[in-house]
Amino acid sequence: MNYLIRTNWWKWVVMILLVYTIVAGLVMAVPRLPILNETIRNLHFHVPMWFGMIFLFGGSVFHAIRYLGTKNLKYDAYSKALMDTGLLYGVLGITTGMLWASFTWGEPWSNDPKQNASAVALLIYFALMVLRGSLNDDQQRARIAAVYNIFAFAVLVPLLFILPRLTDSLHPGNGGNPGFNAYDLDNNLRLVFYPAVIGWTMLGFWIATLKSRYLLLEIKRDA
Amino acid sequence: MRTLIALIHKDYLVDFRQKYPVAGIVLYIFATIYISYLAFNTTISPTTWNALYWVILLFASITGISKSFSQEMDRTLYYYFLCTPSVVLGAKLIYHLIYQYFLVLLSVILFWVFLGFPVENVSLFLVNLFIGSTGIAVGFTMISSLSSKTGNPSTMMAILGFPVIIPVLLLSVTNSRQVLLGASWVDISGNAIALMSVIVIIIALSFILFPYSWRD
Repeated sequence: MNYLIRTNWWKWVVMILLVYTIVAGLVMAVPRLPILNETIRNLHFHVPMWFGMIFLFGGSVFHAIRYLGTKNLKYDAYSKALMDTGLLYGVLGITTGMLWASFTWGEPWSNDPKQNASAVALLIYFALMVLRGSLNDDQQRARIAAVYNIFAFAVLVPLLFILPRLTDSLHPGNGGNPGFNAYDLDNNLRLVFYPAVIGWTMLGFWIATLKSRYLLLEIKRDA
Repeated sequence: MRTLIALIHKDYLVDFRQKYPVAGIVLYIFATIYISYLAFNTTISPTTWNALYWVILLFASITGISKSFSQEMDRTLYYYFLCTPSVVLGAKLIYHLIYQYFLVLLSVILFWVFLGFPVENVSLFLVNLFIGSTGIAVGFTMISSLSSKTGNPSTMMAILGFPVIIPVLLLSVTNSRQVLLGASWVDISGNAIALMSVIVIIIALSFILFPYSWRD
């Protein structure tokens, strides 16, 4: 995060990648598939949200661990900023996913393991937000939030392995469904998909740097 | 070791010196089971029985464990001088486990009296119940130590606890339902082993993280 706050060059990369993603994602030819039809374009917007969310939450846990090691409120600010942005991405991911599902699976929520896992992940981080709100002392809030952040993330990881054992998933590549590779014969989708993942994820970190600069100013003001 | 036993004994004394916390939980379990008995009226299907059992057990354990840390906020100052965090946590874990097994025993008996006991493979059901309730107890111990720091421990307990307890609950409820529908150890062993590894993860994390969270 220190490096991301100091430098600017990567923001140009993000802008180029995202302009490319939006234009190419909406305009380029896509494979004609039954059921999916044109909704397959959502691949470039829905899936990167989850990639972004995982990276942002991972970063939040990483900075929580660094906070516990150093007791420096700067890392708490980073952790908080990354968590907030991750939550935004999670909400966007779940809404785009439900929209997509209502066209392809026939209903917005179908007890799919990945849907459930993401709902639990969001619940954890909303709980963390409530927890932060209920503590007043800076150091205490940072410490308790960091402990819960690490604890909950570590319990979430086994859950991601447990849930698919209980029910089959409707997502591609699970429970006997073909993965996206099978649909995508001419690699057209991949040309947009990979830049989209990188672009959206880095946009998340951009938002998080803005947020953490604001939080750092607040810390400075209160000190 | 002596401090550990002393702390467990202290928890026991705190709970049983004033009879009302324990009596409250017992009455809570009795009331919920009796209401279910009145509401269901006739015999209920094994799957419903299973769901009902776990829901009642879950809420009873939340009520039981959540107050444990918060009721001694003013006493913890002594602990900073007298013992290490791992001893405090160890004592709490052991006491909560005993408490949880007591609640399990009580609820099984009350269910048997009022709603019947539709289990054929009793030993397997109890083994799964034992593992599952262990998971609930250790998961809620750490959460209760965190929620006791906030202004409103009982609400925070529910908010913080549910996401964390979901893996434990999912596995044990699924296993329990399968046992009720006639599964054998081979059918549930995969889930049971996953459940035990989740419990090990939770215990290990509690011991790593508790030293950071117990001081104010």
